[in-house]
Amino acid sequence: MAMIEMQGVSKRYERGGQTLTVLDKLSLQVPQGDFVALMGPSGSGKSTILNLLGGLDTPDEGRITVAGQEITAIPPGSLPAWRARHVGFVFQAFNLVPVLTALENVMLPLNLQPLSRAERRKQAEFALEVVGLKDRMHHRPRQLSGGQEQRVAIARAIVTDPDLVLADEPTGDLDRDSANAIMDLLRRLNDEMKKTLVVVTHDAVAADKARRVLHLDKGVLAREVANPTPARAAAT
Amino acid sequence: MKTPWILVRRHLRSHWLRTGLTVTSLVFSLFLFCFLVSIVTTMEDQVKQSATNRLFVQSAVSLFQDIPLDYQPKIEQVAGAATVTKFQWFGSYYKDRSNFLAQFGIDHDRFLDMYRREMVIIGPDGQPSEEARAAAQAALNADRRACIIGEGLVRDPKFEWKVGQTIQVNTPFFAMTDGTAWEFNVVAVYHPLKANFDDRQVFFRYDYLDEMRKAGRCLGSEGVGVFVVNVQDGHDSGQVIADIDGMFRNGPQRTNTMTEAAFQQLFVSMMGNVPLFLGTIGGAVVFAVVFSVVNTMLMASRQRTHEMGILKALGYTNGAVGGLIMVESLFLSLLGGGTGVVLAWLLAEPLRKGMGQFFPQYRVHPETAWLGLAITVGIGVLAGIMPALTASRLRPVDALRSEG
Repeated sequence: MAMIEMQGVSKRYERGGQTLTVLDKLSLQVPQGDFVALMGPSGSGKSTILNLLGGLDTPDEGRITVAGQEITAIPPGSLPAWRARHVGFVFQAFNLVPVLTALENVMLPLNLQPLSRAERRKQAEFALEVVGLKDRMHHRPRQLSGGQEQRVAIARAIVTDPDLVLADEPTGDLDRDSANAIMDLLRRLNDEMKKTLVVVTHDAVAADKARRVLHLDKGVLAREVANPTPARAAAT
Repeated sequence: MKTPWILVRRHLRSHWLRTGLTVTSLVFSLFLFCFLVSIVTTMEDQVKQSATNRLFVQSAVSLFQDIPLDYQPKIEQVAGAATVTKFQWFGSYYKDRSNFLAQFGIDHDRFLDMYRREMVIIGPDGQPSEEARAAAQAALNADRRACIIGEGLVRDPKFEWKVGQTIQVNTPFFAMTDGTAWEFNVVAVYHPLKANFDDRQVFFRYDYLDEMRKAGRCLGSEGVGVFVVNVQDGHDSGQVIADIDGMFRNGPQRTNTMTEAAFQQLFVSMMGNVPLFLGTIGGAVVFAVVFSVVNTMLMASRQRTHEMGILKALGYTNGAVGGLIMVESLFLSLLGGGTGVVLAWLLAEPLRKGMGQFFPQYRVHPETAWLGLAITVGIGVLAGIMPALTASRLRPVDALRSEG
């Protein structure tokens, strides 16, 4: 069963009176349990795909189905609720709320679920345990290293047990060791928890952890590499 | 709609300096607003609580022009005039000019009866009683230098007068020709029954003043500043006013008779349009603080644009994100403004004492406190509405791109 189906999706932006086509009638399928890395030059439409899949933005043309639901048909007012149930986000800049502790950050998406406070806390602690940071749960983001912050962000992304995890340059702000650790963690989520992951990255070493690498260029799918190695992932 | 309220608390605490300054400005503004409005309502109270069946007869020229003493028996002949007393402002002070006294020469044989609704006499046991009133009347009758004082002068540490004490006061208007002070014997203490009846007045026998003046022992001309007339029940005060003023239309001194309420109003209007002036200042202060809180909330919201994007990406609705800003604005406003209003309420009594004889009936009306709280909520809504709307309309993609 396909977790993601994009059919003829186009996205255009107006910039300085000009129309930029970021995605051009893109069609794509990602099966459930897959781990896909999206690569390509800047402006190729990688992040736009993530925004569209997460319901943060809407396409100008085409249909997008995620977990069997056509999200392009969901009214804008209902998209946040859909997002809270089905999607977890991981961002390049971690995007933790600085005034909250790691535990409180991870509990944020759970506030939208019909759970008691005790249940929310238990679930958030479990997610932090999965990413190996339970002992730092009362620390604020500024008290954590970059790698630790990203692990907290991953815990926040998986704490609601979403169908799909979308990661936008999750290793972009990290050193090599931390980046490897984060990609290993994402791979573990895919292997052990059967999460479907779509990761945007510029890093061929990071992309090596994915099951498939899709290369985008000028808004269209240019090439696909299955079972990548760093060399094959980077090859254009 | 689920909203992460914890963020409101954390943000207010993490920006403690900004929060503190905004709250402090709100505390001062709303306190000042309630104080100024209360000054105005205190003035109005004095007018509203005045007796409608009591008239004040003064010179048509001015309050400071004496009217002849022989007018009194003529006024007493007017139909509807129950009792008449002289009411001579003495303009005295105790020890220092700053200890100004509201002291009046009255007709001692009728004054206590005329002011039954305004005051009671306190007995030696500290309780008001008819016996105490009778004893005070007897003491007034017996001693030409007798005086009755308000309980405020007993409590005030600058005076601490008590029954049996001989007090010495000075007055530039009726100064003793030998340079000595006037002496009065305190024979009774009164407790006011109405909020607009000052508890720091001194009433003494007019005939003592008249006798001293006639003997050439003090300054001052013959005559009296005001006659106070109690109107008989069932008589129209308007008709009594017309009859009194009509009687003296051809002189030798024309009179201007008015109700006690109109007399009080005259004093308020003598201060110019003070209520409007005070109201304007209060309004301007509140107006200024609105901008301060709006600025705070705009800054707070702008700094948090990125965070709003995160919340929206996690699934929080536009309403929840806008609601966070609105609740923060309301909380900030209520914390500061509410404290200001509560302070104005709690400090009303110390302020009343501090303002001494100027506003002896000063109090904060519940309506003023509610108005202050309503304004506080209004400030919160005004300050929060724009940033809250902006926050709720933000596209998550744009918010996440921002650096705020």
